Amino acid sequence: MSNAIYATLARQQGLMQEMQVVSNNLANSSTTGYKTDKAIFAEYLVASGPGELSLSMGALAGHSFEMEQGGLNVTGGQFDLAVQGDGFFSVETPQGTRLTRAGHFQLSSEGTLIDTIGNNVLGAGGGPINIPPEARQVSISGDGTISVDGEQLEQIGIVTADGTLMRDSNTYFSAPGGFRNATDFSVVQGALEQSNVSPVLEVARMIEVQRAYEAGQTLLEREDQRIGQLISTVRER
Amino acid sequence: MKSLQIAATGMAAQQLRVDVISNNIANMSTAAYRPRVAEFSDLMYQQYLTPGTITSQVGTVVPAGIQIGTGVRPSTVSMQIIQGSLKETGSDLDLGIDGAGFLEVTLPSGESAYTRDGKLNRSAEGEMVTMDGYPLADGITIPTDAKSISISRDGEVVAYFDDQPAGQAIGSIQLVRFVNEKGLEAMGDNLFRETAASGTPTQVVAGTEGSGFIRQGYLEESGVDVVKEISDLIEAQRGYELNSKVITASDEMLAATTRLR
Repeated sequence: MSNAIYATLARQQGLMQEMQVVSNNLANSSTTGYKTDKAIFAEYLVASGPGELSLSMGALAGHSFEMEQGGLNVTGGQFDLAVQGDGFFSVETPQGTRLTRAGHFQLSSEGTLIDTIGNNVLGAGGGPINIPPEARQVSISGDGTISVDGEQLEQIGIVTADGTLMRDSNTYFSAPGGFRNATDFSVVQGALEQSNVSPVLEVARMIEVQRAYEAGQTLLEREDQRIGQLISTVRER
Repeated sequence: MKSLQIAATGMAAQQLRVDVISNNIANMSTAAYRPRVAEFSDLMYQQYLTPGTITSQVGTVVPAGIQIGTGVRPSTVSMQIIQGSLKETGSDLDLGIDGAGFLEVTLPSGESAYTRDGKLNRSAEGEMVTMDGYPLADGITIPTDAKSISISRDGEVVAYFDDQPAGQAIGSIQLVRFVNEKGLEAMGDNLFRETAASGTPTQVVAGTEGSGFIRQGYLEESGVDVVKEISDLIEAQRGYELNSKVITASDEMLAATTRLR
C-alpha cells in the first residue's frame, strides 16, 4: 500500500494524542499546583522491505513537564502553603511517598497536618507533623520552619527528585529515582500556587493541532483520489 | 476522542466553581459567614509508556515516558477560616467572637450544633436563644426583672437590677473549639455539626487555650471579599469558555475524519 497513507496515519494518531494533552492542560487551568504537560514527537524509521528505502514516521515519544513557577494566589489560609523555587511538599500515601506542589493543607481531627484527600504531610525528618490543639497562631517561615505561638515546632519537608518524575492523579508526582531535601526554595504561607497552564499558548497549540489534523485528512483524501484515478486509468487501457 | 470527555470534566469543574462563588456572593451579608473555595486536582494518567522502561541491552531507559491525563475533578470545597470584621450594634445580646471558637446551641432534637453568629434574643422564659429560637447550651436564663446584662470578654454574664447596685452573676458562656474547623459540616442557618473530620468539641473559657474573646455589642460580619469573588468569577467563566473551545476543536477534527468516507 501507499507509504504516504501510513506516514499520515501515524501523524494523525499522534495529533489525536496531542489534542488530549492540550485538553488535559486546559481542563486543569484552575488546578492548584498543576504543571503543564508537553508532548514530544520523535521520528522512527520503518524498513518497508529488504533492499527498499526505509519510511520515516513520527510518533509520540515522551512527555515533559513545564516546571515553571505558577502564580501565587493569596488566600490568607493558615495552612495554605506554596513553594517558590525548586522543591515539592512530600506526602505519605498508601502507595508510598508522593511529591506535590499543591499546598492546600488542613488539620485532621487529631491535629495532624493533612492534604485534601487526608494523606499526612511529611516533615523534614520524614514523619507526620502534629500541631497542638491549643495553637493560636501558627506561622511558617520561608525555610519551612513551623512555629506555634512563637515556639519553634518542626520543619516542613521540602524535597526535590533525583531522577525523572512521574505523574500521579491528585496533582501528585512520584519519584521512582528517589528524592532528597531541597535547598533552593522558599515556602510562602497564606498562598497557593496556581496552575502554570498558559491559556494563550494552549489555545494556539490547539488550533495548530486541529489545522494539522485537517491538513492530514485532506492529504489522505487526495491520496485516495490519486490511487482511484490510477486504477481507473489502468482499467481503461 | 478522549479530548471531548477531558474538556467536559474541565467545564464541570468551572461550573462547580461558579456555583461556589455565587453562594459566597449571596452570603456577603450573612453574619459570621465564612467563604468557601473550590479546589481541584488532576485525574489519573493513562500510562502508554512507563518512564524507566528499558530500551536496550546496555540499560538505556525511557526518560520521560508517555502519560496522558484524563481531566480534572473537584478535590474539596473547603471553608476559609477568616475572621470577619466585628460590627458594633450596641445591642447587649449581640456577641461577636474575636478569634477562634464557636457558641454551642442545643437543637430541638437534643443534638448540639455550633455557630459563630452571636445574634441572640430572649425567649418568653428569659432564656438566651439564637435567632431561630434554639437555646445556648450554657443554659442561661435572664431574670425578668433584670434592667440590663453585661457579658465580659471571657463570657461571664452578669445581670443588673433596679433595686440593687451590685450585679448578680447568672452564668457564663463558654466557647467550643475544634482541632479542624474546616471539617465541620454546615447545616444551614449559620449552624455547624461535629463530624469525624472536625474532631471532638472542647469547651474552653473564652480567651484561653487558643480561643478568642467574646465581645458584647458586636456582630461578626461575613468574611466574603466581593472583589476577590468577582475576579474568581471572571476566571471561572473564561475557563469554561476555553474548555468549550476544546470541545469545538475536537468536534471539527471528528468532522474532518468522517469526511473521509
